[in-house]
Amino acid sequence: MSSSQLRALPLGDSAVTIAFGSERSAALLARIQAAARSLEAARIPYVEDVVPAYLALTVFYDSLHTTYDEIAKTLLDACDRPARGARDTAPPRQHVIPVHYDGMDLDAVAAATGLAVTEVINRHSGRGYTVDLLGFVPGFAYLSELDRSLQLPRRAEPRPRVPAGSVAIAAAQTAVYPLDTPGGWHIIGRTETMLFDPAREPPALLRAGDTVRFERVA
Amino acid sequence: MDSFTLRAANAVSGNHFDAAGLEWALGGGSIRFEDDAVFSLGGAKAHATLGGKVAAPCTTIYAKAGDELTIEQLTSGRFLYVAIRGGIEVPQALGSKSTYLPGRFGGYQGRTLKKGDSLTVGADPSHLPTDGFHCAAELLPRYEPGIVHITRGTQADLFDESAWRTLTESEYRVSGASDRTGYRLEGPALANPVGTLPSEASCPGSVQIPGDGLPIVLMADAPTIGGYPKIAVVTEADLPIIAQRSPGDSIRFELITIEQSQRALRRRAADLQTISQLALRSSARAS
Repeated sequence: MSSSQLRALPLGDSAVTIAFGSERSAALLARIQAAARSLEAARIPYVEDVVPAYLALTVFYDSLHTTYDEIAKTLLDACDRPARGARDTAPPRQHVIPVHYDGMDLDAVAAATGLAVTEVINRHSGRGYTVDLLGFVPGFAYLSELDRSLQLPRRAEPRPRVPAGSVAIAAAQTAVYPLDTPGGWHIIGRTETMLFDPAREPPALLRAGDTVRFERVA
Repeated sequence: MDSFTLRAANAVSGNHFDAAGLEWALGGGSIRFEDDAVFSLGGAKAHATLGGKVAAPCTTIYAKAGDELTIEQLTSGRFLYVAIRGGIEVPQALGSKSTYLPGRFGGYQGRTLKKGDSLTVGADPSHLPTDGFHCAAELLPRYEPGIVHITRGTQADLFDESAWRTLTESEYRVSGASDRTGYRLEGPALANPVGTLPSEASCPGSVQIPGDGLPIVLMADAPTIGGYPKIAVVTEADLPIIAQRSPGDSIRFELITIEQSQRALRRRAADLQTISQLALRSSARAS
């Protein structure tokens, strides 16, 4: 695909968002992740961070030494060309996360989906998920794809505090909250697994491309 | 939250811009200097005294061992910065000395300071501005009357003309539901045409419109990825202005281009360099 199909927009003074498409798909996500690796390998001057997401990637840059127009043009050109030396993706790892399925929203999810609680648990724990991307807070991984029968919109009112270790679902995804944070997803369980440990190297447990399975424990 | 003020206060204290300092919200407390020290204050206005004498903001102040800096409540603005010559010595976490409160790591044991805590300052700072060196007000951001410039956000095109008129012609107020992750605003709601979208990167200053149509401005500890549409982004040059707005303070948004926005950011950087050079020259003159 040519760069004319990519669109660059400023995100404030120090970032550029490059839109790759308007509909989520596994293929689009893979393309964005490849472009992100390509940009990192290209070592473009003033680029500080590359953040892939579902429809776009965002590049943070040093705006005291370049302008939006200059960096946007450079990035659009670079997104097209697979860079030599782009690191091979690290081999994906498989993780098993033990879960106590006693979350505060478990009954509400059962009621909203019309399923028995045990069926909600079976359908959540019965499949493997892929890590799409990391973001939101340190160590937070967006996992796909949740069983269709469990898919619900986010809560209308986010909670001001969701405890660290909470296992949650919303729309087509599931995730574990690594820290105490506000959150709008439905909490169905908890785990003692540490998704983020600042003393660990690397601190985040999960990486894009890894797979995750949840295992029910008492 | 107001990183401009921290950098300016560092320069006035003889530090490099990025030395670790203290961010002080609310008020009521004191710091005792166990050794001779040089410091400066900036940001929120407060009744502050050192050894019974007024400690003026944006001013190099020499303290003697045993002196106490007492800060009574903040009278306007939200964050007071205390920069001490040498910078605060704390271990680096993930390459920074800052405290990340949601994660309980970084800074001083990953938490806010409390009574009895003891801090160490660095030993070898860059230079020593003269006692009483004062930074001119025109080099600092204009915090009043709360005009905040914005550029078009990633989802700007999804909002119609009436939404843009509302955003740029209304007065908004910072609500009580505001903290280091984001400031919720009170005022006229904007019609949100999309609900939520597939998550994508945000930045501090992003103006999100959630389901109820009331803007949320993301701040320093904000989520890095989110699904609410972003109608606009606060210009980085004005982040200090919005950061210092307390609950109940008004904000008015003015739309500018990305070129104007980046130029304003470069002006702020130039102003910081000027403050640093003037502080350096003050010590040369005094010797």
